[in-house]
Amino acid sequence: MSFQLIINLIIAVIWMFLNNAWTVSGLVSGYVIGLGILFLLRNFFPSRFYFIGVMAILKLIVIFLKELILSSFEVMGQIMQPKLNIQPGIFAMDIELKQEWEVTVLSCLITLTPGTLVVNVSPDNKTLYIHAMHLPDVEKAKRDIKNTFEKAIQGVSR
Amino acid sequence: MKSNDVILQTATKVVLFIILAFSVFIFFNGHHEPGGGFIGGLMTASAIVLLMLAYDLEMVKRILPFDFKVVTAAGLLVAIGTGLGSFLFGVPFLSQTFDYFTFPVLGELELATALLFDIGVYLVVVGVTLTIIQTIGEDQ
Repeated sequence: MSFQLIINLIIAVIWMFLNNAWTVSGLVSGYVIGLGILFLLRNFFPSRFYFIGVMAILKLIVIFLKELILSSFEVMGQIMQPKLNIQPGIFAMDIELKQEWEVTVLSCLITLTPGTLVVNVSPDNKTLYIHAMHLPDVEKAKRDIKNTFEKAIQGVSR
Repeated sequence: MKSNDVILQTATKVVLFIILAFSVFIFFNGHHEPGGGFIGGLMTASAIVLLMLAYDLEMVKRILPFDFKVVTAAGLLVAIGTGLGSFLFGVPFLSQTFDYFTFPVLGELELATALLFDIGVYLVVVGVTLTIIQTIGEDQ
């Protein structure tokens, strides 16, 4: 992914060099032309066309913002109620992420969405221990995190 | 059982370079805007302290194999040297001057001799801070 990005930037610089126009618009047009060239030769590289990875990162940001807003309203609703009827709990969740940055990003996303909080990571980076504010159904909470965040992170690093 | 610091360590790998870049920016901004050698040196030292917190003292010693007492001495020598340099031009001790120079790529820059004195201050602050923290942090 980063190798293709470097090639694309080199093409953009060469484009500015050939036009002798060292401007932002020259850089952008060269970048778009390099993107087209890389798309034509995408089967030449061992990894996938890198712009799919960029789109996956944007999708991860959108999913995070959506979850943040939804779960914030949920927590607000809990605070407004006169009586607390929450069932807090800590559950262990096995994750299928390999690299350290993936584990870190997933933990940060879980912590930043209100209602859930990463308490600890197992020494082999395979299990997250998560504290949830309201936990009527453990399996449902696991499924939610797996279907949203973990899938989106796997889409970035695939 | 040793706890798993994977989140702290991965965040440190990214944040460390941002802090160091910002400390260099603050250091060079000291002439016309808030900043300067002292706060730049403290910020560099704080970045290295973050590395010590996330990993351990031995790893920091392996990455930066300096004796920080020598860094302090070098900073003091630079500061004294800029003061003695004013005698070469027949002006009083620690006089400073500045002038505008035109470079081929960068354009016109203002170069001041106060920057050289600030480099000395920077080195002294980094050296003293890290000497104190390493001395306290080491096991007897």
